[in-house]
Amino acid sequence: MPEFTVRIFRLVLILPVFFVICSCSAENRLPGYLYYRLNADPSTLDPALIVDVTGGYISAKIFNGLVKLDAKLNVIPDIAESWDISQKGDEYIFYLKKNVKYTNLREVTAHDFKYSFKRILSSAGKSPNTWVLEKISGAKEFMQGRATDISGIVILDRYTLKIILDQPFSPFLHLLTMTAAYVVPQEEVERLGADFSSHPIGTGPFLLKEWRNNNEITLTRNNHYFSDHAKVEGIVFRIIPEDLTAVTEFELGNLDVITVPASEYARYSTSAQWKKYLSSVHGLNIYYLGFNCSRPPFDNVNLRKAVSYALDREKILRTFYESRGKLAVGPVPDMLRKWQMLFPYGYNPREAKRIIDAEGIEDRTVLFYITADQEVIDMAEIIQFYLNKVGLKVRIKQLEWSAYKSAVNKGEADIFWLSWWADYPDPENFLFPLFHSSNHGAGGNRSRYSNKEVDRLIEAGQKARDISARDGYYSLAEKIIDEEAPWVFFWHKTDFTLRQPYLKNYKIYPIYSIDKGVEVSF
Amino acid sequence: MLFGITLITFTLTSALPGDPVYSMVGERASPETIEKIRKEIGADKGVVRQYIGYVSLLLTGEMGRSYYTNRKVLDEISTKLPNTLRLAAGAMFIAIPFGILLGLLSAIRKNRVSDSLITVFSVAGLSVPVFWSGLMLMLLFSLKLKVLPPSGTGDMRYLILPALTLSLPAMASIVRVTRVSVLEVMELPFVRTARAKGIKENRVNMVHILKNALIPVATVIGLEFGSYLNGAVLTETIFGWDGVGRFTMEGIMKRDYPVIMGCIITGTMIFVLINIFVDFIYYYLDPRVRVDGTER
Repeated sequence: MPEFTVRIFRLVLILPVFFVICSCSAENRLPGYLYYRLNADPSTLDPALIVDVTGGYISAKIFNGLVKLDAKLNVIPDIAESWDISQKGDEYIFYLKKNVKYTNLREVTAHDFKYSFKRILSSAGKSPNTWVLEKISGAKEFMQGRATDISGIVILDRYTLKIILDQPFSPFLHLLTMTAAYVVPQEEVERLGADFSSHPIGTGPFLLKEWRNNNEITLTRNNHYFSDHAKVEGIVFRIIPEDLTAVTEFELGNLDVITVPASEYARYSTSAQWKKYLSSVHGLNIYYLGFNCSRPPFDNVNLRKAVSYALDREKILRTFYESRGKLAVGPVPDMLRKWQMLFPYGYNPREAKRIIDAEGIEDRTVLFYITADQEVIDMAEIIQFYLNKVGLKVRIKQLEWSAYKSAVNKGEADIFWLSWWADYPDPENFLFPLFHSSNHGAGGNRSRYSNKEVDRLIEAGQKARDISARDGYYSLAEKIIDEEAPWVFFWHKTDFTLRQPYLKNYKIYPIYSIDKGVEVSF
Repeated sequence: MLFGITLITFTLTSALPGDPVYSMVGERASPETIEKIRKEIGADKGVVRQYIGYVSLLLTGEMGRSYYTNRKVLDEISTKLPNTLRLAAGAMFIAIPFGILLGLLSAIRKNRVSDSLITVFSVAGLSVPVFWSGLMLMLLFSLKLKVLPPSGTGDMRYLILPALTLSLPAMASIVRVTRVSVLEVMELPFVRTARAKGIKENRVNMVHILKNALIPVATVIGLEFGSYLNGAVLTETIFGWDGVGRFTMEGIMKRDYPVIMGCIITGTMIFVLINIFVDFIYYYLDPRVRVDGTER
């Protein structure tokens, strides 16, 4: 080989070796800190503005509310030590703990809750979470700027707060466990203005140490926390958009816990090394195929039933979804249901074909709207295959998320694929927004389903103080909904996480706000 | 030109289906809340009024705030652009010398084994998608050899894998163009003259041939560098690199119009500047470009 060629080859080989040598050093980890993964940066950490799970998950560690949820989904005291509910169920008196302090060391009082709630409902504010508190008496007048105060929030003394509702609402305590009901310090909100969003100050077991956008969010332990202190020094949330990158980081020990990506589930669930460190929980969610019940062809209940019969949900769950979920018998997740339901419309293609032939819509093409997510696209093709088999022509229309949501809200789709995740763990959260006729479109009832009896039962359940009476109303409502099939109920997805072997007391919860991060340790 | 870019971008983004407000408000916002937020971000006004408002904002040196994070777009771009610049420069630092050397070698050794090997490499570099090559490099250097961190934005260690991944297609393009260009120049009479004068082969190759073959290569380098400065979405996503590409893509996915507009305007300006810079390089490389006849 000529000398010139050899020189070029040498140069080509030397440079990468140089790169690798100069880069050899260990990964830096803060000692005593937990490392978690987020797939996207939260938009905000201001409780008034948070609408995404990521933001809610982190803010649960920075803030507290009057009440919170325990691992069994019961409402338990948080900053409120105890509370009384009036006989009618429309008045709540909360008795606050003393010496609960913000991380600026100022004590929390009843005034802080009034300020925080008014901030959510303010006509000048831009909180999308007004619905959480709008049941409070006088909230609507205040939101519309017709009143300067909210008549239903009364400070009885420094540590006692009274909340009066327009009418009884049985899940109200559950609403108060939500992010929007966290308490915030007025002086810091006013000092920081819009920057409170990225410099949140609360009362929680952790405080924000650093937020490097799109890189890392570091929380450090709040040593003045009023309850059990965290056992770790802090938590670092690393923002890693790509699943396989997160898996690599986990296997290198740079992350302590990851949510198992669908593509890696089979490997981890069968690995002798890892399967014992896999945790799972049935999520409070429902995946469904929705019908547009307000226009032909699916205003016809028989056709909706035919589609339900045409789909082999059990098989799809077992094969395509690798059993990463529990078959749904109705909209309400089993964990929240105390009544029995039967699996509606098992796979029966012959019956489906018979109904479709009898209704005579073979020539009609059904418009199936989906988002551009790959898993949804695959799912849509499976559904299309099953429906074609029974004589229904299906045209899939794929849209970007906000365009999709806008189209489905306006009722442009014949059928659509969606999921619903609990805001709070109460059956009402799976019935009122999704099936009450006042919520057509953006309110949550995207099937545009209307049934006066269902409306009445849901409303009665909202007002009932007695749990068994409430469950009675909800069970009747769910049975009517199953019978009228405004959706094909698919499954409740199971969440899987994988932890490092050295992690102790790690738990996975069905709803993000439960995890305060105080139990886990090394 | 910027006026034209803002007009085209604004018109196109306005014509897109979908409404950012639906992504901003979550699942249960009331119609009143949706209207309030639409008013807050100015989406209730007509497109013409929105455009005039945006151009007025630009004239004050601002690019508005993100609908979602409420952070200033200009500040965000100022934070992310240096990262993108580091990544693009890192990629070109690898791609340019290797690309030119391998291209030159391929031409000099035309139809020999080394030429064939380099051709295979360059075709693979052009055709293998970066999400595959990136993951393979990550598996090798991070998971197996444990010498480089798989993701994050940080010092030199974090830069190497994304820069290497991004350099592969650029290197392949440079190899192809250099090879063709060198082969063309090798046939020109002045090369024969140089050899006849007894100039050493290395000097003929490196000075007489390579310098004259570099003009089309400079164009390719300029285009690749310009496009990398606008962000390399896939590479930045795989390696969790906090650059402009990921920022732009997230803006597009969420219909965050101030972010989309800010990124496109910045990208356009960068592209124009790079092209002007490349024109200057032509001036030095090729006497024919010096139209005023000035000697250098």
